[in-house]
Amino acid sequence: MLYHPTVARLTQRAILGRRRALILLLLPVLLIVIAIVVRALVGADDEVTADLLGGFALATMVPLIGVIAGTGAIGPEIDDSSIVYLLAKPVPRPTIILTKLTVAVGVTAAFSALPTLVAGFILGGNGSRLAVAYALAAAVASVAYAAFFLMLGTISRHAVVFGLVYALVWEALLGSLVDGVKTLSIQQWALAVGEKIGQGGHVVSDVALPVATVLLVVVTAGATWFAAQRLRSLTLAGEE
Amino acid sequence: MPTDAPATGSPGSTGNPGTTAATAATDVIHDIGYRHYDGPRLGRGYARRSLFTQSLRAAYGLGRSAKSKVPPALLFGIMCLVALILVAVAIGTGMDELPLEYTDYAIYLQPVIFLFIAAQAPVSVSRDLRFRTVPLYFSRPVERLDYVSAKYAAMASALFVLTATPLLILYVGALLAKLDFTDQTKGFAQGLVSAALLSLLFAGIGLAIAALTPRRGFGVAAVIAAFTVPFGAVSALQGIAWEQDNLGAIGWFALFSPIGLIDNVQSTFLGATPATASPEPVDPSTAAGTAALLVALALAAGCFLFLLRRYRKAGL
Amino acid sequence: MTTIRIDSVSRWFGNVVAVNDVTMAIGPGVTGLLGPNGAGKSTLINMMAGFLSPSTGAVTLDGVRIWRNEQVYKQIGLVPEREAMYDFLTGREFVLANAELHGLGADAARKALATVEMEYAQNRRISTYSKGMRQRVKMASALVHEPDVLLLDEPFNGMDPRQRMHLMDLLRQMGAAGRTVLFSSHILEEVEQLAAHIEVIVAGRHAASGDFRKIRRLMTDRPHHYAVRSSDDRALASALIADPSTAGLELDRRDGILHIQAVDFARFTELLPRVARDHGIRLYEVSPSDESLESVFSYLVAA
Repeated sequence: MLYHPTVARLTQRAILGRRRALILLLLPVLLIVIAIVVRALVGADDEVTADLLGGFALATMVPLIGVIAGTGAIGPEIDDSSIVYLLAKPVPRPTIILTKLTVAVGVTAAFSALPTLVAGFILGGNGSRLAVAYALAAAVASVAYAAFFLMLGTISRHAVVFGLVYALVWEALLGSLVDGVKTLSIQQWALAVGEKIGQGGHVVSDVALPVATVLLVVVTAGATWFAAQRLRSLTLAGEE
Repeated sequence: MPTDAPATGSPGSTGNPGTTAATAATDVIHDIGYRHYDGPRLGRGYARRSLFTQSLRAAYGLGRSAKSKVPPALLFGIMCLVALILVAVAIGTGMDELPLEYTDYAIYLQPVIFLFIAAQAPVSVSRDLRFRTVPLYFSRPVERLDYVSAKYAAMASALFVLTATPLLILYVGALLAKLDFTDQTKGFAQGLVSAALLSLLFAGIGLAIAALTPRRGFGVAAVIAAFTVPFGAVSALQGIAWEQDNLGAIGWFALFSPIGLIDNVQSTFLGATPATASPEPVDPSTAAGTAALLVALALAAGCFLFLLRRYRKAGL
Repeated sequence: MTTIRIDSVSRWFGNVVAVNDVTMAIGPGVTGLLGPNGAGKSTLINMMAGFLSPSTGAVTLDGVRIWRNEQVYKQIGLVPEREAMYDFLTGREFVLANAELHGLGADAARKALATVEMEYAQNRRISTYSKGMRQRVKMASALVHEPDVLLLDEPFNGMDPRQRMHLMDLLRQMGAAGRTVLFSSHILEEVEQLAAHIEVIVAGRHAASGDFRKIRRLMTDRPHHYAVRSSDDRALASALIADPSTAGLELDRRDGILHIQAVDFARFTELLPRVARDHGIRLYEVSPSDESLESVFSYLVAA
């Protein structure tokens, strides 16, 4: 069994607990508001759409939500040791990880890829394929980010910080300065997928599609496997 | 702070196997020298100063464990290293001006700055909230105002040290490279003013957000998000405005991001080159610059007031 | 017969040896794991629960290794010490989730909640529970699959006397039914009342095992203390001290008790009634004053 509904229910309630759901909602709402404002001021323009969806949605919003959902799917439970109730059961560890990953991917995609699609339609009208391209890129990025940050959550108590530093500093800032960094960026791999769909020349990635696909699969599968291994050897060290 | 002398001696006797447990004698405490402290105390000002010093030192990990020294030391090191490299380049290649203007320095190294505030603001306020020690402060002669102003001043000072030291390195290096004295001094002074405003603003934002949650990890993440999300949005919007040839809007968009506020102010009043997300720098209008200054000051004041309100009920 | 076997197990954390070459077997019935704070009880229980691996040695359940073996949890129920649970769930939802993770349904959850008498609060969030209520819900979550082995880490923490009695009854019943119940505590009264068999851990080492009265008798290097009330304490005292089996006497005139230290237990038990009869002294009360678990424990810890 690769999916356990109870684990999913618990994870989903943990990620979307009251305050966190509001914070998660903040970013997509911001995106949509900006999209509406820009469309009203500027009209439909492919370049503008690419700027906003690529520069803000994909570069900032998707990784941020990915961090919150990915680390939130397992981090707090490990932190306060309430994960013992999940682990002291005859449920295989890979099942637990895969279920949590599914929930994290679902939440990330729902809160980032879907609004990207909506914002894209608002900005560009139905003509351009940009909206679909970026939404797909966001969805692909959601999977990889969720897996990566879920794994980080099983490794370090400070997964949130490391995740954010990776997503926002490494990818966004260094990525625009140093070329080598771009090959190692989930954002670029996702853009490669979007580039294939976009075909309008606005979606540009610095990584070729075959390379990007392979790297995406490797990172996602590898991170998931690693997280499952960590969970099997999870120790509770006793009295605090 | 009152000193507690341990009570010496124990009244009565217990535990002897032979004695009856009955109330043989009345309970009494004998006077054996334990006294209430009636001497001079150092008062609120001293408490406030101590809290300030301790918070400032904690922002750099001094007086705490080795592990907590690493992030601030690393970030401070990066800030200074880059300045040293720039100076070395200037001296080595015999340039007649520094490769980077004083006022540009903070803008280019903004990730380091906001990582610093993201890491250290929670260190300052989250621990007291998480372990519920805030009432311990307020049950001493420390008022809410003292606590908040000490923490705020300490964080702002820490940021100022972080941003001004590289400027100092640049200045000294420039003088050693025999660059024009008046030019450099003017630039240095401008850079310092800008750094001061930046420290004030960023400290407020960082502390206000960090004080919202007792969990340190969330605090760090929230502060990082609070700086990068507006920056990302504003950059995208500025790019769009450039393409739409709406240059005036670029200056106004910058009001929505903390670093943008600083950028506007120093471009308008301190003669700096704006660092907008457009292919060429676009000067903000004087109105946008003045608005930025007002917004920055208002935001800093607002964060201060928010902190005061936050600590009204904290820890109860 | 589900037995947990701990075989020459040691566990160290860097330079600190938390458990030092411990060998024991926990069988059916109620066993108390006793030791001062920091002695290594939690470490041992975590190893038995499969959440910590021994640095050397093996921890097995009926021969099957517990570490990295999730199927073993069908037979083990764990009540951890830490308080954190899924606070946003109600009691009922929490126990139900635990049941579902075992492949059971709402019936098992209902039964478990009834056993710990938490039905009245089952629809409130766990974050609103008192400490004792949390403990009981934890118990319910551990009992929901009716395991053969129950491991409890400091289960009576924070319980009021009535709840504690109820829980003790429950554990006693389970022990009598043949289940293996192990609980750790540093509170001697609890262990005394509940455990037929104790294991004492001191500073990571296995100090003693068995019935605490028998352990006391094994400590032949310490004189046994007795408190005797009789019709003529002084005469009895002078008669007793003549015999080499007594090492010390103390006459407490205010309470009328004679305190005796006996170095030779067997000989003294035969001596006392004989002396009393020979001198025509009536014995009103003879009780050992250091055969409590407390004295046994303090002797073990101090050794």
